[in-house]
Amino acid sequence: MTSGPYNYSYIFKYIIIGDMGVGKSCLLHQFTDKKFMADCPHTIGVEFGTRIIEVAGQKIKLQIWDTAGQERFRAVTRSYYRGAAGALMVYDITRRSTYNHLSSWLTDTRNLTNPSTVIFLIGNKSDLDGQRDVTYEEAKQFADENGLMFVEASAKTGQNVEEAFLETAKKIYQSIQDGRLDLNAAESGVQHKPASPGRPLAAQPPARDNCAC
Amino acid sequence: MEDVLDEVVSSEDLQKFERVFHEQLHLGKVTHKAQFEYAWCLVRSKYPTDIRKGILLLKELFNSHPEGKRDYLFYLAIGNARIKEYNKALHYVKSFLEIEPANQQVLALERQINKRMEKEGLIGIAMAGTAVLALGGLVGLGVALASKKK
Repeated sequence: MTSGPYNYSYIFKYIIIGDMGVGKSCLLHQFTDKKFMADCPHTIGVEFGTRIIEVAGQKIKLQIWDTAGQERFRAVTRSYYRGAAGALMVYDITRRSTYNHLSSWLTDTRNLTNPSTVIFLIGNKSDLDGQRDVTYEEAKQFADENGLMFVEASAKTGQNVEEAFLETAKKIYQSIQDGRLDLNAAESGVQHKPASPGRPLAAQPPARDNCAC
Repeated sequence: MEDVLDEVVSSEDLQKFERVFHEQLHLGKVTHKAQFEYAWCLVRSKYPTDIRKGILLLKELFNSHPEGKRDYLFYLAIGNARIKEYNKALHYVKSFLEIEPANQQVLALERQINKRMEKEGLIGIAMAGTAVLALGGLVGLGVALASKKK
């Protein structure tokens, strides 16, 4: 998938949340592989993806946890919210119920992340404008009232997908620059570049006990 | 953290779901949900004993709760891969892919398992290589000592 040297200054942790079938995994794959998966099966538990991006000349590695939308995974997937620097909250513009549940997703996010976590609202499936069930204006107002960033996007055509992930990273990076995000806090969701260049940083050092060297 | 096999459950989470499971066990009625949540945490533990316990619980679920089969197969594969039972892990992956051949999440897991097997295979070869070199060094030293004696 990703080739070339793992050379980056920061690691940002993201989560993707929202109701079942809104296209969370398709957004992830569009972003990491630039591909649309036509019939995406329901995610089991959590899926993980990475991509290195550039913000203000700094290479940043995004570690993205895509959570399953099915209710039976909800209790355990909540633990993935902890220490997220960015949260992409997704609904489907053609299904009103997925929009109506946003306040419950938002409450969870606010309770389980930290105040500096950037929350980005995505109205997915913008290519299906004919079947629209939620207007842009209404969602924009919801986003403004709750201090969220917002776009309508399409995992199918790729429209605005890149923007959502990148704008979130820019906002996080800005928080670091402004000193609003404490890099030393364990829950910040941001890590510094590894000490030795070119070597990927393990998020959880204890997990490395399988190393035979 | 490079892939899902690297991920480790936090001890608070493990304890939280363990408590629920044991409470239900005590009352004599364990729900599929509680057993799955506990097993899902166990297979992500850093201790192989926990992982093995998680595998047993998942096998039980696999046999008693057909609706959740794909979830159980997936985490059986993850658990086995994490204790380096790669062949068993690949067996579960294969069973999954027989039902859903194009599942990206499972295909990605398969690639990660293969990558680990390859990497650990290479480490084995590298260690054998070092042993040969060391042996060669000893023989060389022996020859040098022997020739000095003359």
